[in-house]
Amino acid sequence: MSRPSVLSSSIAVFQKDLRSEWRTRTAVSALLLFAFAVLILVGYAVGPANISREDRPVVHSVLLWIVIFFSAMTGLSRVFVHEEESGTAAALRLSAPSAAIYLGKLLANLALLALVLLFVVPLFLALMSFSIACWPLFLLVLLLGSIGLAAASTFTAAIVSKASAKGAMFAVLAIPLLLPPLVAAVSGTRIAATESGIAAGLDILQLLLAYDGVVTTAAFLLFDAVFRE
Amino acid sequence: MLYPPPVFLKAENVTRSFGVRRIFGPLSFEVAPGTVFGIAGRNGAGKTTLIKMLAGLIRPTSGRVLVASSREPGAALLSPRDTPLALGWAAPDLALYGELTPAENLAFFAKVRGEDDSPKRIDAKIERVGLDPKRLASVETRFLSTGMRQRLKLAFATLSEPTVLFLDEPSSNLDEAGRAIVAKVVAEQRRGGTVLIASNDTRDLGLADEVMTL
Amino acid sequence: MGGLRILLQWFLGLVMVVIIWGAFLWARAAANFVGQSSRIVFFHVPQAWVAFLAFLVAAIHSGLYLKNRRIENDEAAAGAARLGIVFCVLATITGSIFAKVMWNSYWNWDPRETSIVLLLLVYGAYLGLRGAVEEPERRATLSAAYALAAFVTVPFLMFAVPRLYSSLHPDTVINARGKVEMSTDIRVVFFSSIAAFTALFFWLYSLDRKVSRIVREAARRQEQEFAA
Repeated sequence: MSRPSVLSSSIAVFQKDLRSEWRTRTAVSALLLFAFAVLILVGYAVGPANISREDRPVVHSVLLWIVIFFSAMTGLSRVFVHEEESGTAAALRLSAPSAAIYLGKLLANLALLALVLLFVVPLFLALMSFSIACWPLFLLVLLLGSIGLAAASTFTAAIVSKASAKGAMFAVLAIPLLLPPLVAAVSGTRIAATESGIAAGLDILQLLLAYDGVVTTAAFLLFDAVFRE
Repeated sequence: MLYPPPVFLKAENVTRSFGVRRIFGPLSFEVAPGTVFGIAGRNGAGKTTLIKMLAGLIRPTSGRVLVASSREPGAALLSPRDTPLALGWAAPDLALYGELTPAENLAFFAKVRGEDDSPKRIDAKIERVGLDPKRLASVETRFLSTGMRQRLKLAFATLSEPTVLFLDEPSSNLDEAGRAIVAKVVAEQRRGGTVLIASNDTRDLGLADEVMTL
Repeated sequence: MGGLRILLQWFLGLVMVVIIWGAFLWARAAANFVGQSSRIVFFHVPQAWVAFLAFLVAAIHSGLYLKNRRIENDEAAAGAARLGIVFCVLATITGSIFAKVMWNSYWNWDPRETSIVLLLLVYGAYLGLRGAVEEPERRATLSAAYALAAFVTVPFLMFAVPRLYSSLHPDTVINARGKVEMSTDIRVVFFSSIAAFTALFFWLYSLDRKVSRIVREAARRQEQEFAA
């Protein structure tokens, strides 16, 4: 029996998840509908004009990440919760190494999050008249922030899929792990809105990169124990 | 007789407790290649727990389980957790992906295990459990009847010619033709492999050479 | 052994009394602080220290559990977390009182205030997760994995928050120049208090370990009787 490589197995898991998701669109529609509802609420209640010009960068950066974070919380746990609830987790466990499963699920969640960002960010910028001074910094903060968000959420999803009260536990467990990168991403977004050079945000990017590295490594190491429990 | 005897599955003093409440054990037994081993017992005796433990899906509270890593004579005995690909598993609480067709399901598991996922091989696997691959080509698994899904689980369990095939309640939801398929799958598997059946059904247990009652 | 234990217990009690006396009556109030407010440092800082120490103990036992799969390690980690949450709450309250006196606001989102709140969230999530898993071994594995993941991510907050809010918090113990700047009387009481709170933590922790052992033993006996 040949041993499959982790990468090819993880890609198979990723493709399988995309195909399942495409057939039902459960997670995608939950995420996008939630994001849309929150955007409307924020746009209506806060709007572009209700805040003084100098307060806008701070308030808008915070709101943007709140929308992204809570949208993520509605959909990213599905990758494991659905496997566990429908009874397919055992079949997966008997077929692929844990590392490949984590990687495949992480890719699936990143794809889902990318879709949410493509939907939320342009709408948010337009609805709130939020102007960005340094686009490269803004895009890098979004990229590194969402990698951290996906890596920690995917790991947390694996934990809650084995617990009861999965829906409530997911956010409770994810928030403490995600507070540091969210705080950093908010500052990074604010800097991108006010400073035109990327230099001002370099330390934020370093911080996010370090977090992404640490959380992905830790999740890789701990995932096997969680998923095979 | 060869010594040590060739063994495909070995349980050494395994126990399982829930907190301090012991469910069963300590149990020790060996299953040789070509043998069908039955596990019987009243409801709640721990049949499903035991067979899950033997397949490495749950950890024994104490003791250990070893399974053959391949069908080669003298293959290494490893913890089932370290050689999951050598094991076949079908159980009532197992499910395949409802959103995928039967062929997509089996092709996915073949691909993830690094095996041939060509339509020819997959269709042959589907035919082996008495399903028509052409008729089911565009039917998602969630729309199949429970009996058809049970047959598909048997196809999943035997997909990679496992050393040990674990069947928990294999005939649940199956008609007479389905039961014949179970008998056929068991007969094929015992050629060079081993089968474990946990069941209360006397006809399932009738397939076994040896029955242990919990 | 028992005799020594009782002796140590009484000694710890005596030391605590002396520290309370020293904190309020012997040490002088530090300059640059409003009124007598600096005296809270003798209690606040040791509590915060113990809150972090408990987290460290919980993380070590979590790692040991995943390595050795001994339920004792899981109980130890949970015990440390339960004590940690108590000291975390105490440190938050004393810190808030000090903030009100010093800066006229109970809460300023100072980096240290934020990190203690994050620690509180982690403890809460950890204990919440334990409540949501019925089976003991599964509970132990999941909560150990979570504790370790939190242990490596929490420190990032210490780097992230100062970029949002500048710190009002007085330099604790060692200032930016790496020197202990305390008068001798304050220093003596302060470090004794740190030592005494650490001892208090380990004493409470050993009691908690003992309770777990007794509970486990009682349950085992009950089970044997039931089986017989």
